[in-house]
Amino acid sequence: MSLQSRRRKANLTAMVLIAPFVATFAIFFAYPTLKVLQLSFTDSPLIGDGNWIGVDNYVRLLGDRLFYTSLVNNAYFVLLTVIPTTAIALGIALMISRLRGRLQALIMVLFFFPYILPVSVVTLIWTWMLDFQYGILQGVFTLFTGKPVAVFKNPHWVMPVIAAVTIWWTNGFNVLLFLAGLRNIPTDLYEAAKLDGATAWQRFRRVTWPLLWPITAMVLTLQLILQLKIFDQVYLLSKGGPFNSSYVLLLQVYREAFQLDHGGYGSAIAMTLVVIIVIFSVLQFQLLRVVGRR
Amino acid sequence: MIRNRKLANQLFGLFALLCAGVWMFPLYWAFVTSIRSEQNVVGGGGVLPDEFNLASYIDVIFRTNLMRWYVNSVGTAAITTAVVLLFGVMCAYALSQIKFPGRRLLYGVVLLSFMVPPQALYVAQFILMNDLGQVNKWGGIILPQLIVPVVIVVYKQFFDAVPKELREAAVLDGASEFKLLFKVYLPLNWGITTALGIVTFIATWNEFFLPFLVVTSETQMTIPVGITQVNDAFGVAYARIMSVALLAAAPVAIAYLIFQRKVTEAVMISSGIKG
Amino acid sequence: MKKALQRLFLSAAILGSLSAQAMAVDVEWWDFLAGGDGVRMKALIDKFNAEHPDIQIKATTLEWGTPYYTKVRTSVGVGQGPDIMTYHLSRIPLALQDGSLSEITDADLTAAGLTKGDFFDAAIKAASGEDGKLYAVPFDIHAIVLYYNKKALEGTDYLDDKGNLKGIASLEDFTTAMTKLKEKGVKAPLSYQTVGGGGTWRVFYTLFSQMGGELITGNEVLAGDNAAKAQKAIEIMADWRSKDLIPEQAEYEASVALFSAGDAAFHINGVWEVPTFKDLAAANKLGFEWGAVEVPQLLEKPATWADSHAFALPANKDEDPAVRQAALTVLGWMEKNSLGWADAGHIPAFKKTVESAEYQAMQPNATYATLAGHAVFDPRSKIAGVASPVYDAVDNYIAPAVHGQLPAADAVEQMKTELQGMLQ
Repeated sequence: MSLQSRRRKANLTAMVLIAPFVATFAIFFAYPTLKVLQLSFTDSPLIGDGNWIGVDNYVRLLGDRLFYTSLVNNAYFVLLTVIPTTAIALGIALMISRLRGRLQALIMVLFFFPYILPVSVVTLIWTWMLDFQYGILQGVFTLFTGKPVAVFKNPHWVMPVIAAVTIWWTNGFNVLLFLAGLRNIPTDLYEAAKLDGATAWQRFRRVTWPLLWPITAMVLTLQLILQLKIFDQVYLLSKGGPFNSSYVLLLQVYREAFQLDHGGYGSAIAMTLVVIIVIFSVLQFQLLRVVGRR
Repeated sequence: MIRNRKLANQLFGLFALLCAGVWMFPLYWAFVTSIRSEQNVVGGGGVLPDEFNLASYIDVIFRTNLMRWYVNSVGTAAITTAVVLLFGVMCAYALSQIKFPGRRLLYGVVLLSFMVPPQALYVAQFILMNDLGQVNKWGGIILPQLIVPVVIVVYKQFFDAVPKELREAAVLDGASEFKLLFKVYLPLNWGITTALGIVTFIATWNEFFLPFLVVTSETQMTIPVGITQVNDAFGVAYARIMSVALLAAAPVAIAYLIFQRKVTEAVMISSGIKG
Repeated sequence: MKKALQRLFLSAAILGSLSAQAMAVDVEWWDFLAGGDGVRMKALIDKFNAEHPDIQIKATTLEWGTPYYTKVRTSVGVGQGPDIMTYHLSRIPLALQDGSLSEITDADLTAAGLTKGDFFDAAIKAASGEDGKLYAVPFDIHAIVLYYNKKALEGTDYLDDKGNLKGIASLEDFTTAMTKLKEKGVKAPLSYQTVGGGGTWRVFYTLFSQMGGELITGNEVLAGDNAAKAQKAIEIMADWRSKDLIPEQAEYEASVALFSAGDAAFHINGVWEVPTFKDLAAANKLGFEWGAVEVPQLLEKPATWADSHAFALPANKDEDPAVRQAALTVLGWMEKNSLGWADAGHIPAFKKTVESAEYQAMQPNATYATLAGHAVFDPRSKIAGVASPVYDAVDNYIAPAVHGQLPAADAVEQMKTELQGMLQ
């Protein structure tokens, strides 16, 4: 077989292998995405056709106060979740890696468990835990603030609490990623460090942290993208209130599209969010690479 | 000295157990609430379980189409998972092992698709499902959920890590790419397949909004959609709400407990992935 | 021979009935009715199905509020809606804008055995578009009422010798009464859903309307002195809250539970809770006697928030005329049997039911029947009505202001700006 015909055959095989995915991707993902992009330049209702209005929706967005509120809240939520969840996951992973055998497996299962729950179940449970009249956690609030707090109705508490629920729900996956990373660090490095008389903190700082950095960077990036897409928890727990203090971009998309029948404007907000996510994840990725190299 | 160390280890184990216990408390509390009578739930009962009342479970199981919803959920989630894994593994194999034109572009598009919030696409996908005649059918629930970019990313990382010698030897023996994929690469990576399978299954099982739009009759509902029908706006019904929540989560929880070793192992190996 | 003939007839009859069953038309029905309402509606549906072997209602109950209307909007949008559905008349303006509803012609009404004259004018008007075309058939009028606990009021000046509520004719009267009850040790003198949502909206809108307020004038939100009226309505509730006369952040269920547990002397809620208290009393679980009256005139004029459940037929349905006819038959039958619905506390929209002796004797419906003359419906606007931006604004601005988290003036200002922005 000539090189050329072998290459042709390999290409053909590749095409056959990727065809099913590419076809489903094109029909069920790319097509709807392009459709939404196209809608964002029209004044369409939720369902049905509209008129082409160019970039009017995007211009309107620039003057929309709720858009800026949502943008700020998205940023605040990222701040409240991304770094804390990464730190907590790392802490838990370090703790678990010190354990052995069955106990280790058990603890791992317990920390991972919330991750498998449907979001609606998670929010039902936490709504009950934090119920203003009967919530078992109200005792904790009373201890610190002197009285019960209706957390999802309170502008100061609402975002931190939603962030805490989110961390509880999704943290398990990050813990597993860190555990795997820790396992890949050769033990002789620690022993060498010990022989040199390094303290526990020094060992962490000089060995664990740099070698774990690729995993940390990956967790941070994944979390950034995920948390920018926050919707379900806010929708189910606070609906964006009180006075818009937990309003986020996807909630605005939902309201414009479904409640107000502004399919076009809703699409424009969604597309703006995609652009924001792309920009921030690229920026963060570059930043983390620079930090990692130092 | 050694004894001290052992004691320290045991104390540490105890501490870890305590942390995990605090972490699991919400689920414990949901369970305790669900086996109380409604009067007791709001009656200020203590933290410990003090009665074993299955009334709210019986109420939910017999007064709703719960069993039917289980069937729909298991069916659609299983089919979705199988298709996602099959298409994903094939595509990832090609991306990893065959140098074909456009593979960088394809991989870039896959990564980019992770950044599109699924909520933005629901309406467009729903209209598409209607055009394809899939409203109120399993197809309408399954088809839009077939794109899980993470599956391709993870499989590709794993295939990249398989030693090249293996492939060269097999090629010399005249094995086709398909044979290589299904007889060598896939069996080598059963662990990650299980893990990806479970993660995909969980995600599909938990999906709410799309099935909510697509399904128009009570018998076609999936669990997350169905349980919203059970929420009764009248009277205090916290025990009932907690039983519904736990019943909705039960099948996946049981599956996870059975396969938990595999999941852990697989996710752990997968972090061999470079960042 | 005779026997054989008989047998032949018998089998023919069986075959006939079998094929009649096979020919039965299925009417797909959606509603949002849970709880006490839901039980009574299911009873009506079962009765209909039993009486009509040729038409079978296939009912699906969906979650009330935003989920229901989201589902209707998307399904009807692609022609996959039900054959008949329940609808809030307050949602008609939005439905007209998005084209979800099919016009109900005079011929349709005739086919259902009805005429426009069978209904109260106000309801027909609310169910029609600007062009006078009818888009829904009203089924009831439901309003909020003032429930009171006779035991809690015992020994005060607010019960007459028959045990009926008296002496509340102004805001001062009401606040004084509640303050006295508070001093007497009543935990929550007045309970309603203070956390926001429908409960807070209904009380707000009632107070606002009693001052003659108009939420939307032409295309302007809270025009002129309406903003000041809205602010006053919020301040009244905030004053109650600061004196602890109404519960803090009470969810809907909790507000009902406060009353049924005897911890609240007054309760403002929809007539749909009548069956709840009726059933509890019948089961001897209530522990006190209760009554329900029209919300008293507290401010300048009597007014009570009201909405209306109606039946609507979705647009875009490419259907068999036989199914539409069957849906209309269902509709007509439901109206004529609406006494069973009145039992859920509602005031039927079908005049003949209201005029019937049975209805006139029904309690407490007859006591609060007067409210029909003072009913104020939600503003006719695409941003108002059940699960609309106006409802969101209640959670977002009014409820926080009632709880002192936001000055009333700011709440009104922000609400006005936000709603105005949505009217374009």
